[in-house]
Amino acid sequence: MGRSRNVEALESGGETLWRAQYYEPAIADSGERKTRFQTQSLRWDIKPLYTQADLDAIGFDPEKDLGLPGTYPYTRETRAAGYRGDLWAMTQVSGFGCAEDSAKRWAYMVEQGLDSIIVEYDLPTTNGYDSDNPLCRGEVGRAGMALDTLQDMEDALDFPLEKLKNLTSVCNAPQPVNLAMLIKALQRKGKNLDEIRLMMPNTILVEYTCVGRYIYPPKHGLRLACDVIEYCMQHHKNWMPLNIVGAQIYAARGNPVQEIAYSFAMARAYIDELLSRGHDINEVAPMVSFITGIDMDFFEAIGKLRAYRKVWARLMKEAYGASAEEALKLRLMSSPGTMSMALQQPLNNIARLGIEMLACAIGGGAHTINTPLYDEAHALPSEDAITIGANIHHIVAQETGVADTIDPLAGSYYVEYMTKRIEDAVFAELEKIEAMGGALGALEAGYFQSELAEEQIAMNRDFHSGERKFVGVNYLVKKDEQREIEIFRHDEAAEARQIERLNRIKGQRDNAAVERVLEKVREAARGTTNMVEPMLEAVALYATHGELCDAMRDVFGEYDPNALTPML
Amino acid sequence: MMDQPIRVLLAKIGLDTHTIGITVLAKELRDRGFEVIFSGLKQTPEKVANAALQEDVDVIGVSCLSGGHMTHLKVLAEKMREMGLDDRILIVGGVVPEEDVEPLKALGVDQVFTMGANIDDIARYLHGAVSA
Repeated sequence: MGRSRNVEALESGGETLWRAQYYEPAIADSGERKTRFQTQSLRWDIKPLYTQADLDAIGFDPEKDLGLPGTYPYTRETRAAGYRGDLWAMTQVSGFGCAEDSAKRWAYMVEQGLDSIIVEYDLPTTNGYDSDNPLCRGEVGRAGMALDTLQDMEDALDFPLEKLKNLTSVCNAPQPVNLAMLIKALQRKGKNLDEIRLMMPNTILVEYTCVGRYIYPPKHGLRLACDVIEYCMQHHKNWMPLNIVGAQIYAARGNPVQEIAYSFAMARAYIDELLSRGHDINEVAPMVSFITGIDMDFFEAIGKLRAYRKVWARLMKEAYGASAEEALKLRLMSSPGTMSMALQQPLNNIARLGIEMLACAIGGGAHTINTPLYDEAHALPSEDAITIGANIHHIVAQETGVADTIDPLAGSYYVEYMTKRIEDAVFAELEKIEAMGGALGALEAGYFQSELAEEQIAMNRDFHSGERKFVGVNYLVKKDEQREIEIFRHDEAAEARQIERLNRIKGQRDNAAVERVLEKVREAARGTTNMVEPMLEAVALYATHGELCDAMRDVFGEYDPNALTPML
Repeated sequence: MMDQPIRVLLAKIGLDTHTIGITVLAKELRDRGFEVIFSGLKQTPEKVANAALQEDVDVIGVSCLSGGHMTHLKVLAEKMREMGLDDRILIVGGVVPEEDVEPLKALGVDQVFTMGANIDDIARYLHGAVSA
């Protein structure tokens, strides 16, 4: 089936000929429906048609740029079998109230067909305070689970853990304390640690950039993160102790190029620190993984997912001389975007989740996919939202066929064009960041923060002007809308319950031993030894989360509370 | 009154560090001629009330996305009353469920703006409320 000579002539004559002969006449009467066609986040102009000529113009070479699934540069998929072997692990973020409230919820989620859980802790925990600290009024157990002592962690893990493919624990600034509590709690529950796949974002550099749950100055934050990674490299090689949450950079309105470039610049900071400790890149790189946020622009999303794995492979090979396959293969969790979950007409979000999940499945590369839920903008998830969120995974996986062949959009002119352009732009941005002294330099100069603020303002203006449409929010708005869904209500009594638990434990422990172990922690912080070992000893004596964070505050000090907002 | 720029203190209380809304609002209000002061992150209600007094602002805008708005606003409104600031306009933005809007107003909050609020509407509201 040869292509008609007409098509070949048009292509070799370039798009100009086709435009003149076909496109212009087609829009002559009523014009195009928009004054500008642009991609959603990158604001790149979109042409009516992409052909081989567009790929030639940017130097696309299928041999070099694509490869095959499981082969360098992994554009077509890191795992040779794609989703024909195993599907992605299906997960959601969860955690609220006291430990047993969360454990009960997680058991429910497993019943709904999820096989992975992302544990979220409350703001007192992630900011390194105990629940009885006056700064934490009104926040205990609200935006996540309260955690003060090892007893809380043991009670939290009281659900069918063995049914999970992985368990993610989000506690970035105090990650060594959190890791120690997880290890001790799992051991006390008699679990085989090799059979559990623990993931820890440990993504402190993202916290300084756009989330804000940091405690210590960045160089100490980086040291603690690397202690956690190093400890896992030596004792739990199957765990994933660094998941750089690009999804938060996306949520701060970072475009795909910024998300990948900032995430990889951050990855370089952790890697360089671990290499300076004498580790080998082929051992270090497989410890690094990423979590990406996927927005509504379908082709930006697919291009982003494909460029992610290709840039990583090239960066590890070209900048670090990595040679092991596992060092070159990107590890990724993908997540439909929380930012596309509207407050207005929240059931519309179910459609958005389906579309974004489809992009995640087609773009591939993710061992795990996370879904936010349709009531995201209202409150923590309701049980209804959790069930529907779980079903969206299964509908995409089982009913659409998109997971049945690998990288099905490869060879599409537009998809390859988008993938390569993102790749090229990421390398250019990475160079710029390197010139600022890498991620730490860019962070301390406020570069990441102010670039993201520019995007936030620009995106808000796009919504405001109607340039970007958001159904139910600035387009087809329902007058006098009343909320039509049931939402989760926080248990206001949780704070008092948690403080009582904390006091009970403090009354039962050996306080002199706790004092001694806190001094040991300060001593380790002053030196250069790995902080995880003394933390393991300390949590077993029921030193509290806040006490351990304070012991490190005594040595490291606290960081500028306004690091996120240099432009305000 | 309309010749003097309206002075606004934008504040974050507690441990919630979601900053997008407040960043965008600060920029857009400044572009519309308002004078905007930022409290800094992780403030207590007491500090915010003190800053409002010192800066003699017309408007205090509190952004809260963690769900802690009822706790924080209760304390802030009390402090404002104690300091004689209850004539200032107090607005709240962020993630606030509908059923909390009336209770917030009962505490002394003048208006609540949530996701999707139009900045022209906020600016118009502030001009009306401050000159009233």
